Amino acid sequence: MDFEALFKQFLSGDVAQQASILRSLTIFLPELVLSSSIVLMLVARLVSLDRIIPTHWFALLGGMTSFVIVLFQFWEFGNSQTVPVEVFTGLAIHDEFSIFFRGFLTFFLVFVIALTVLTGIPDDEDAPDFYSLLCGAVVGMMLMSSANHLLMLFIGIEMASVPSYAMTGFLKGKRRSSEAALKFVVYGAGAAGVMLFGISLLTGILGTAQFSELAPRFQAVFANHAGMQDPATRCVALALLMIAVGFAFKLSLVPFHFWCPDAFHGAPAEVGGFLSVGSKAAAFALLVRLTTSLAGDGSGALSQLSLSSGLGLGLIAIITTTFGNLAAYSQRNIKRMLAYSTIAHAGYMLMAVSALLVLQSVQTDLVFQGNHQENGPRAMEGLLYYLCVYLFMNLGAFAIVALIRNQTYSEEIDDYKGLAQQVPVLAICMAICMFSLVGIPPLGGFYGKAFIFASVYEATNVHWFMWLVLAAGGLNTVISLFYYLRVAKTMCMDSRPADAVPVTLAASSSPAMYVMLVSGMVVFLGIIIDPLSKVALHAAHALF
Amino acid sequence: MGEVGLNAYLMVGAVLFVCGVVCMATKRNGIGVLMGVELVLNGANVNFVAFSRYTSLGLDGQTVALFVIVLAAAEAAVALAIALNFYNNHLTIDVDRGNELQG
Repeated sequence: MDFEALFKQFLSGDVAQQASILRSLTIFLPELVLSSSIVLMLVARLVSLDRIIPTHWFALLGGMTSFVIVLFQFWEFGNSQTVPVEVFTGLAIHDEFSIFFRGFLTFFLVFVIALTVLTGIPDDEDAPDFYSLLCGAVVGMMLMSSANHLLMLFIGIEMASVPSYAMTGFLKGKRRSSEAALKFVVYGAGAAGVMLFGISLLTGILGTAQFSELAPRFQAVFANHAGMQDPATRCVALALLMIAVGFAFKLSLVPFHFWCPDAFHGAPAEVGGFLSVGSKAAAFALLVRLTTSLAGDGSGALSQLSLSSGLGLGLIAIITTTFGNLAAYSQRNIKRMLAYSTIAHAGYMLMAVSALLVLQSVQTDLVFQGNHQENGPRAMEGLLYYLCVYLFMNLGAFAIVALIRNQTYSEEIDDYKGLAQQVPVLAICMAICMFSLVGIPPLGGFYGKAFIFASVYEATNVHWFMWLVLAAGGLNTVISLFYYLRVAKTMCMDSRPADAVPVTLAASSSPAMYVMLVSGMVVFLGIIIDPLSKVALHAAHALF
Repeated sequence: MGEVGLNAYLMVGAVLFVCGVVCMATKRNGIGVLMGVELVLNGANVNFVAFSRYTSLGLDGQTVALFVIVLAAAEAAVALAIALNFYNNHLTIDVDRGNELQG
């Protein structure tokens, strides 16, 4: 059948089908707006319109418009219906969870664009390239957060990764930047290949690629099979392991974290901030979606699957946080330190996913029913709250690094000595971000960690291993205190050497305003928790 | 000639996958590593098409294979551009020579 025949069939097809496609397109509007802003930026350069209107306005407008549309969808969803809608014949799903993440990502996009405008990382010549890569990566991340099909999972991951590779190597003439990009692309392409092979095995054995059908098919295949002796079981285990490799790469979990410090060190700080928040958030959304749909209702063989994958993720989380925190301790370059801190934080957030899966495994168990029903959504609420706080505190830290780099051309921690005497605004905001990354009350980071540790504590009722996870989380928070506070101490307590490059930044200038806004949000989320945690809980309920 | 059967195709896919992984792990030339990635992706593609022919997966497998071909092309384009940029800065594409980022 050729395209013309297909098109005619669509035009003459039944009304219900056309209506469902139109509905899908309306739901897809935020992504469409972002994509068209990419086209607009490139066309604007073609006709030299970017000499009159700077390109970042197109990007900013596209980001804001799609954020507003997502907000509108959220409002509409709260008012009219509460049933998840499958869009594009079940390839993607539209529920509160995907709305939450699409809102999160577009909001983050606006902040990143504002930051790049303030620090001026892409010059006028390169701006269309940079912003189209940025918007393209965000579209990929939005697809990841609403994926409902293994094909969408892979497309989303690739669409988010490929622009990230290019953005890492964006400063073309720099040796370090090109080395970082090469390492990133080699590791990334390898991990994506392994993941795709795992997907092919999984779809082949289960006979479906739809998330919602994975759990029933899994149960049907394993209803009368015995343990690991069975080749089908072993094959599914291998496939899940290979898919986990892909996720571990995206989330920079040990032992697939090697790219992360190198990529962050070589890339501009703005790109580092974007990757550390955006791609992590989208990968967590996808991981949660895939694991909850694999775990299904947690009955029969699924309970075992859910428990063992939960414990496996818990083990990886322990190793990842411990490694990240220990390696961050000896870093001299601030971007490298923040990269290891990103690895450690991915470990903390993975603890929430692990707790969720362990709790889900006893969902049908009568002993654990009753008021324990709420535990799964609670774990998810913790993860979502943590991600929101993490957006501000990490973006704030990277923004300050970028602003100081613009004046001193240095990213070594030693060159930050005594900056409090010259630019108190930056020093104080950096201290706030660092304290929040440790998780000191009353800053936002504390509540994120508290929510996650509370759900891990709940999961200890199910399996003793979660005590180890909880202990590792607590211990790591203490370890991380040292290297975060070292940065704050260097900036605030030491005196500025006489030969150091002076840094000036008026407190009323727009970069200072930006930094104050971001770190103000960190403080705000630590004091007023209720609205955001309610929204997060609401979004989490969509999964169960 | 009888049907070849699913297992033969899966075997080809697995061999391609292993060749690709070995290639990625042992090659020092950046382009060689990228060729390994292509082998891995195409091994998965063989699996998808075989599964769609012999199991209940149906057309989904064929569709995924088509998408993967496009994605592999896009990824190769970006990867080659990055490799070229690395060459311009370092005058080599030996991945072991990229050792400035350490700590």
